[in-house]
Amino acid sequence: MVDTKNDSRETVQKIVLKVLKASLKGVLFYGVYFVLWMLLAPIPDIVPGFRQTVETFVMIYVFLIIFGELTSGTVFQHFFNVAKTLFVIGYLIFSLKSGILGVTFQNVRLTVDLRLFLIIAMLLGLLGFAKSLLQAISFLNQKGERPSD
Amino acid sequence: MNIPIRVMGIATTFFWVFLIAFSVSAIYSAKDVHFDFGEPQMWVNANNETVFSLPVSVANRGFYNIGSFNLTTEISDEEGLIITRESTFIPVIRKSEELTTSHNVTIDVNDLLQIDQKYLFNDAELKIYGIVNMIIAKVIPVQASTNVSIPWGAPLCNFIFGKPEHTAYNYTHLRVVVPISFENHAFFDLSGKIQIRMYNSANTLVGDGQVAIEVRSNSLYHGYTELYVLIAGMTESGCFEVDFLTSFFNYGPLVVSYG
Repeated sequence: MVDTKNDSRETVQKIVLKVLKASLKGVLFYGVYFVLWMLLAPIPDIVPGFRQTVETFVMIYVFLIIFGELTSGTVFQHFFNVAKTLFVIGYLIFSLKSGILGVTFQNVRLTVDLRLFLIIAMLLGLLGFAKSLLQAISFLNQKGERPSD
Repeated sequence: MNIPIRVMGIATTFFWVFLIAFSVSAIYSAKDVHFDFGEPQMWVNANNETVFSLPVSVANRGFYNIGSFNLTTEISDEEGLIITRESTFIPVIRKSEELTTSHNVTIDVNDLLQIDQKYLFNDAELKIYGIVNMIIAKVIPVQASTNVSIPWGAPLCNFIFGKPEHTAYNYTHLRVVVPISFENHAFFDLSGKIQIRMYNSANTLVGDGQVAIEVRSNSLYHGYTELYVLIAGMTESGCFEVDFLTSFFNYGPLVVSYG
């Protein structure tokens, strides 16, 4: 009876800790985004839709961070990690198109070639994807070994 | 397996931080790059070509050098035929550096008239395509381009070769007076002379004359040219050949029939 009570107490503590950790990570990520956004402040005036694109990205990414953290210790954490890396790659390709961004501002056509940035970001995304897969394999491997311990 | 995963995680995080910091700082510093275009100057060079000189100032107050700065101007006619194309290239503009250069565009009015003589007599529109290329922080190529139309004012707009009037000058010659008028819509003052040769129906030169002209930009010219022609050579019909010799262009002969 006491063990059950202690177990449920520990579970609640774990959940609270996870929620706190998830919230902290989410807030931290949003804080970084907020600081970086201040530096990029002039861009939304020139590039229409830039703010919306970035905000959508941040929103979904924070959502994945929080859910990844809430499901930590389970295989779902790795699902969310994989989803996070795939989302980054997919969203970069979607938003940067082929890597050449063009915008027209008062009869002036501005073109920025971000192909190198896109390639590096995709490679880093793929590295993160590989890491998440390895983590998932390692997790399942450890879980498979546990009953025999 | 945990250690390689951890190393991969650290490396990924490190490179992401580096990439984001670099990208944001590059974009942030791009706003501290200032371009200033001065008052354009115009003159005629030794080859009788019109040179437009545009002073360009670049102040790079950003964090990174700007490489391969290239300013290109292309002037074309309404059909898209390129009249002139000039580029100004600066290999590197270092950070905290301010420099001024001149972007020169040369137009040979004679070449323009070779393309189409309508530019001499009719106002038209020319298209200017300006492109600025540069590489920020050695890795981010940026291009800005603009397309504008400018009016071309014809130097001999509404050219009228009036009806020649002839009066007796002496026993052998007639005095022929030809009224000429036009509007100089060009951006330059016109100075030079108009030469006129008179031919009879047998295509024999019977007389010639010339008049000096000095017409300011956007002003009207109205004058006369006197020719002294042989009475014996005069016929009822014939033609005049008109040549324009100016500091900006030479054109002729413009054939005007009479009779």
